[in-house]
Amino acid sequence: MFFYHMRMAIKSIRRNIVLSALMVAAIGIGIGVCMTAITVFYMMSSDPIPYKSDSLYAVQLNSWEAPGPYDADRPERLPELLTYRDAKALLDSEVPTRSVATYRSGFTLNPDNPDVSPMLVMSRFTTRNFFSMFDVPFLYGAPWDEATDRSGDSIAVLNYSINEEVFGGENSVGRTVELAGREFTVVGVMDRWEPVPKFYAVFNGAFEEAEEVFMPMLLNESWERQNYGNTNCWGDTPMNGFRDFLDSECTWVEFWVELNDAEQKSRYQDWLAGYIAEQKRLGRFPIENAGAEVHDVNEWMDYNEVVSADFRVLVGLAFMFLAVCLLNTVALLLAKFSGNAARVGLRRALGASKAMIFRQNLVEVGVIGIAGSLLGLGLAWLGLQGVRSINLGHYDRLVQMDANLVLFAVAISLLSAIIAGLYPTWRICQIPPATHLKTQ
Amino acid sequence: MLSMQHISKVYRTELVETHALRDFSLDVSDGEFVAVSGPSGSGKTTFLNIAGLLETFSSGTYMLDGEDVSGLGDNERSRIRNRKIGFIFQSFNLIPDLDLFDNVDVPLRYRGLKAADRRERIEKALETVGLASRMKHVPAQLSGGQQQRVAIARALAGEPRFLLADEPTGNLDSLMARQVLDLLEDINEKGTTIIMVTHDPELARRAHRNVHVLDGQVTDLKPFDGGTPAVVNAGAGGGA
Amino acid sequence: MEIRPILSAMLRNKTGAVLVVLQIALTMAVVVNASFIINQRLEKMNRDTGIDVDNILIFQSWGFGDDYNHEASITRDIEYIRSMPGVIAVTPTRSLPVSNSGSANDFRATAERFDENNVEYPSVNANTYVWNEQGIDAVGVKLAAGRSFYAEEVQFRESRSSEFAPVTIITKDLAIKMFGTEDALGKTVYDFFGNAAEVVGIIEHMQGAWIDWDELTNVIISPGVSAGPFIRFMVRTEAGRRDELIAAIEEQLPKLDRGRMIRRVEPFSDVVRHAYSRDHSMTILLLSTIILLVSITSLGIIGLASFAVRQRTKQIGTRRAVGATRMDIVRYFMMENWLVTTIGVVLGSILALAFNVWLVDTYALDKLDWHYIPLGMLALWVLGQVAVLMPAMRASTIAPAVATRTV
Repeated sequence: MFFYHMRMAIKSIRRNIVLSALMVAAIGIGIGVCMTAITVFYMMSSDPIPYKSDSLYAVQLNSWEAPGPYDADRPERLPELLTYRDAKALLDSEVPTRSVATYRSGFTLNPDNPDVSPMLVMSRFTTRNFFSMFDVPFLYGAPWDEATDRSGDSIAVLNYSINEEVFGGENSVGRTVELAGREFTVVGVMDRWEPVPKFYAVFNGAFEEAEEVFMPMLLNESWERQNYGNTNCWGDTPMNGFRDFLDSECTWVEFWVELNDAEQKSRYQDWLAGYIAEQKRLGRFPIENAGAEVHDVNEWMDYNEVVSADFRVLVGLAFMFLAVCLLNTVALLLAKFSGNAARVGLRRALGASKAMIFRQNLVEVGVIGIAGSLLGLGLAWLGLQGVRSINLGHYDRLVQMDANLVLFAVAISLLSAIIAGLYPTWRICQIPPATHLKTQ
Repeated sequence: MLSMQHISKVYRTELVETHALRDFSLDVSDGEFVAVSGPSGSGKTTFLNIAGLLETFSSGTYMLDGEDVSGLGDNERSRIRNRKIGFIFQSFNLIPDLDLFDNVDVPLRYRGLKAADRRERIEKALETVGLASRMKHVPAQLSGGQQQRVAIARALAGEPRFLLADEPTGNLDSLMARQVLDLLEDINEKGTTIIMVTHDPELARRAHRNVHVLDGQVTDLKPFDGGTPAVVNAGAGGGA
Repeated sequence: MEIRPILSAMLRNKTGAVLVVLQIALTMAVVVNASFIINQRLEKMNRDTGIDVDNILIFQSWGFGDDYNHEASITRDIEYIRSMPGVIAVTPTRSLPVSNSGSANDFRATAERFDENNVEYPSVNANTYVWNEQGIDAVGVKLAAGRSFYAEEVQFRESRSSEFAPVTIITKDLAIKMFGTEDALGKTVYDFFGNAAEVVGIIEHMQGAWIDWDELTNVIISPGVSAGPFIRFMVRTEAGRRDELIAAIEEQLPKLDRGRMIRRVEPFSDVVRHAYSRDHSMTILLLSTIILLVSITSLGIIGLASFAVRQRTKQIGTRRAVGATRMDIVRYFMMENWLVTTIGVVLGSILALAFNVWLVDTYALDKLDWHYIPLGMLALWVLGQVAVLMPAMRASTIAPAVATRTV
């Protein structure tokens, strides 16, 4: 019977080819637009480290000074970053399973290979737990050891792509690279690692690529390379040189801790409160109720609006768009089915039950839905190419469809087609068999 | 075969109640060929719709082939229409984009017959109406008379217990009308009960019995001039 | 033309009419809000930067190696570029205007931070740039009053130092915020450490770093050259010569010194475009949404109307037979569409406002300008009438004889 329904559906579609094409187009375009928006949104808001995102916490301390709040428009907010001295002090806490301080910099890399010309690399100063906390995979070697965290030796971990570029992908552990004029020994090479979004440092481009070179944070106290990224300062103590900057009240260091349960978390919050109280005695943390906050990975993404309001608005619009397309389809289907009333009446007279008529029309709606969803997938693909082209190469990594999304697209379009088709199909089943038989 | 007792049918709109049938009683025996006539608006079509289970009625009882069909649900009624009743309409009501084979196939599909069985029935039915050679034509390629013969084939293919014909020759010229009528007589002779609504006295005369409907009721027997006097009284006979 | 029969015909097919009304209402809500946002973004993108964007090229210089001498390298580079034909002026700078990256500091018009009652004096946040004596020319901003820096005022700076040069140039917007209606020229500006600088020039208008910042046009410029080893250059060229100079600098400059890298020699306009890329993408995406939505809705109207014409062939023929002119038939369909659209746009206005309220509440977008509502209504009326015109014309060609045909 299914094939009979199918054959009748195709005949019916061909009978109203323009109307049917319009329906397919409406569903297709609706799905295409919606899926384009959803894909970008899905990638933007995906959990970058799902198996432990609820045990990694970004730490904020309110070291800001009165009178003005840190963020004048949203006074409840704390600085997103820590001062260097606080970051160093927090590293000493034994409460968290792991603690990591990190900030970004960039400089020239001069390979000892004369065939490779000097290049610029983005780098990250951090502590060794960075790699274990964020589950960074290693191709060769390993992170530096704890002693290096304290000694600040000139050693570096390279990421996959820079190791390809400089050493042709070989095991470069033990080799040296010249960074901004200083010689560094490679201790480890990371495998490919590109979290999307770049959750451990969402400022200045949450969707940019991960840094290429990682090195011990302490080393920069004497090396004095400028930090990149947001730096917010207060106070009227004059600064002369990098040493003063490190001691200043400027906030610029990202700080993460790993807390595995609620008890550990509350113990850490107590510890932070103690730290602030102690600093207050030293005359720092001048705000009366200066506090600390911790946010897990997903809270942190929300807190920092990694998915911009613009994109949320677009997703909202995309769903309204889909709604319009579906209304359109329902209206067209109603019209089309009303044109079928005589036929349906006849089939009813000849003994078709309501259920049979329902199935027949559902098959027809299904055919239109599948055609629409195929078109929609194609359009979504085109749409993603479009998004890629207008973002000036910025969101490349966001506009890929994975199997999940394709399945979702097929599901949403079939569902849409069925929702759109259900009412007209139900309506047509209500046609009494006796009408339309007498005259046409 | 068919027994209607005190059937009445009321159409209600917001403003008026129309009694399409009132206290309508009729018995038709197995193998009969009955012509139902009456002026337009008399309730002929309502009678036909009720007899064919296309419409329900407000009160009364209706026995069809020994079964009380008064309280049946929609699905059951569809099933009976499909298995026991064949319809022939004035305007043929063929599906224009299906060929003859598929048109005749429609009711068989809803019966869930096997493909080979359907094919056999369709070919036989089209042979009966003399159109077996044009199986792959669409209705528009046929004359009106041929189209009506296809409609008859469609009605016959299901081997119904009785045929309901609504002005089957109304859209045909007299030559074609005669051929269609000959066909119906043949079918009737082979044992199928036929109820035909018509207001053409010529046609009515060829039926075994004439029933006249006026104002939603069967009126007294009123034989046509020169016709064979009908023998059965309206309301008599009882269910077969 | 009578509306009543059309209305009652519509009421008989309530569902169909309701669907079209909803569709038009939603379309209007989306179109009105999307075009409002587009317009705002366009206005934002078209703001005057005050900078000669199209005739500036920029590049980065990265010193490395033990023998890199920041001061010597920069001095030589400036001299060399200055001598290239077609170059108007060149300045080193740490960050670029209109790039979404830069630095800002608080400034006061008073030397003291607190008054005698220990109440803090007001301070103003401003974008800071450090340029040489050619800076004003190299960026192409207009001086409304005063002068550029003198060469002797330009000093090389330490990294992370809080020094403040004794002279400064500020934008008019900043001058007004700090000194009100008084003439700011010759006045003293104090930084947060209490260092003083005399205002020697006032820039008519200039945008700072962050395009979404309320204080975008608060800009303060100090004479100097920022510490190395990383520095940017802005080079202003004669009109039309930018691209040839990009090629020349890319080719020649690296040869002067192997101890530093020249990177990303590019038009400044690319930076500005990149800064606005999010707004640009947003307008394009919204515009595509509008176009697609309007196409879908009008195709829907055309489809439904064509279908109605086909279904009502006999009825239309009958009307023609009893004396309706072709114009009457066209008018019937137009009127029908007008009625549906009118209900749709009334509902759509409410939806548009509701949608806007939601956007304002949730995403802090601006409140809808009321003009958009009547404009949106008008647009959808026109859209509906245009869409229905073709099927209506087709209906008017139905012959009166159709009425007498039976099937």
